[in-house]
Amino acid sequence: MVWQAIARKELRGLLKPRRRRAGLALVALVFVLGGYLLPLNVSSPETADLAPYMTGAVTLVLPLLGLLLGYKTIVSERESGRLLLLLSLPHSRLEAVFGKFLGRGGVLALVVASGIVLASALVAYPFGSLQPGVMAAYVLVTLLYGLAFVSIGMGISTLTSSSQRATAGTFGVFFVFVVLWSELKVPFRIALDYLGLASDGLPNWALFVYGLEPGMCYQRIVQAFFAGSDQGSYLGADAPFYLGEWVALIVLVCWVIVPVTAGYRRFEVTDL
Amino acid sequence: MAAIEAQNLTKRYGTLTAVDRVDLSVEEGEIFGFLGPNGAGKSTMINMLLDFARPTDGQVEVFGMDCQRQSVAVRERMGVLPEGYEVYGPLTGRQHIQFAMESKRADGDPMDILDRVGIADAADRPAGDYSKGMAQRLVLGMALVGEPDLLLLDEPTTGLDPNGAKAMREILTAENERGATIFFSSHILEQVEAICDRVGILSDGEVVAVDTIQGLRSAAKSGTKLLIAVDDLDAVDLDTIEAVDGVDSAWIDDDRLAVNCTSAAKIDVLVALNDGGADVLDFTVEEPSLEDLFVEYTGGRS
Repeated sequence: MVWQAIARKELRGLLKPRRRRAGLALVALVFVLGGYLLPLNVSSPETADLAPYMTGAVTLVLPLLGLLLGYKTIVSERESGRLLLLLSLPHSRLEAVFGKFLGRGGVLALVVASGIVLASALVAYPFGSLQPGVMAAYVLVTLLYGLAFVSIGMGISTLTSSSQRATAGTFGVFFVFVVLWSELKVPFRIALDYLGLASDGLPNWALFVYGLEPGMCYQRIVQAFFAGSDQGSYLGADAPFYLGEWVALIVLVCWVIVPVTAGYRRFEVTDL
Repeated sequence: MAAIEAQNLTKRYGTLTAVDRVDLSVEEGEIFGFLGPNGAGKSTMINMLLDFARPTDGQVEVFGMDCQRQSVAVRERMGVLPEGYEVYGPLTGRQHIQFAMESKRADGDPMDILDRVGIADAADRPAGDYSKGMAQRLVLGMALVGEPDLLLLDEPTTGLDPNGAKAMREILTAENERGATIFFSSHILEQVEAICDRVGILSDGEVVAVDTIQGLRSAAKSGTKLLIAVDDLDAVDLDTIEAVDGVDSAWIDDDRLAVNCTSAAKIDVLVALNDGGADVLDFTVEEPSLEDLFVEYTGGRS
């Protein structure tokens, strides 16, 4: 397999333009800022406190970064003809998609890891404490969340041959998942109520469907694993297991795998 | 084994048939020119060799491997200069060659390749700043990586100035001497004439002729025009000349005898003149240009 060559080339190309590096540094800086502010509000903070404290910012910034990294990957290469150059070399289309996904995921990992490590250092010094295991877990979970959006972006990118449509689709996903989703709960309940499927509050299956969105999964994971919460309709003691944090983790992993795979399968059978 | 073997290869886009039941065989070690007017299906044909497009019917093999099912293995033995590509703007020329080397698992110094294609002095500049001709040289360099057994070039001289086109021809000739088979498409005839062993002419998705340039010439109806100066025009019997096999027409043009004939009949005409008692003082041959042949084969569409 030579997908490493593609991933390496992606990394090189992605990190070259100065403006892009500045943008990526800015995202890492969001974490650092959180790490700076947290000790001002909490005395003797721990690494685990960082995760719930950052959730609001993370669920806004990472989808944006992930989608931006993903949505042009294939479609712009296809439109410009860079894809022809890539596939003139002995690469399969699978290697091309996989290699690019890894390259872009690598950039995301770099940003998330450096941001969280620096933030954790700020939390730990001088009055807090550092738990390396917790920090690693937080990096991993946050990375999964970001990768889900790289995957969604690349899925869109492989599905269409027009940059404009990819841009529109990406904007739609961001709007629905990040801006609109939290507002959807009420209309969702009213609609089910109208259909006679819900009385007061959402039934468990509807909570499950509503909770499939990557941000919802991420919040549950952070609440359960880092904030130690066992309250609420998802994590409460009488909630069924499929609303819990472990299922949320599995759903998040699916968000990383499924969109880009679905896009690839379509891409594999089309003429360039 | 043939380098390229197409059987009944067909590609339809909706109702448009871009490539129509093409049978084609390119031998190992030859330089094969693929000629045709724009839109004749040359690129579609090449895209199927690269698995960018999938045949509607038929199949095509390279060194006995199916171009669709074993596409990666096929491309491992190929160097490709595609059409309509774009280079990776932020990466330098050297990084492009390095990438091709990693992809093909080839060793060597990228500078040797860049030197060969004549852009060594731009090795560390971002390829996005290259001119069209430099980009074309760079991608040719990428194609040369790893000494491929088959060079596949789609309109290779696009964007090159005459010097660049000449350098391209020299590189292709050298690669051919190394043992590589060369298959390239072009709508520019002089290039094909200069280096090709054989030529295939594609028109409206169909291969209308495959032959050497010489063979195409002698097969063409438009044929050769002979202008012959003889010592005594009165001794020439036009009917006798026209009766020679392969002669289309003969007439007196100024002070000379003019004969339209096939390329193969030239000597027969001279012999017939000699037998009739006319001394040939001088003669000139006007071969049809490849352009004439091309127009004839493709029915004037270009």
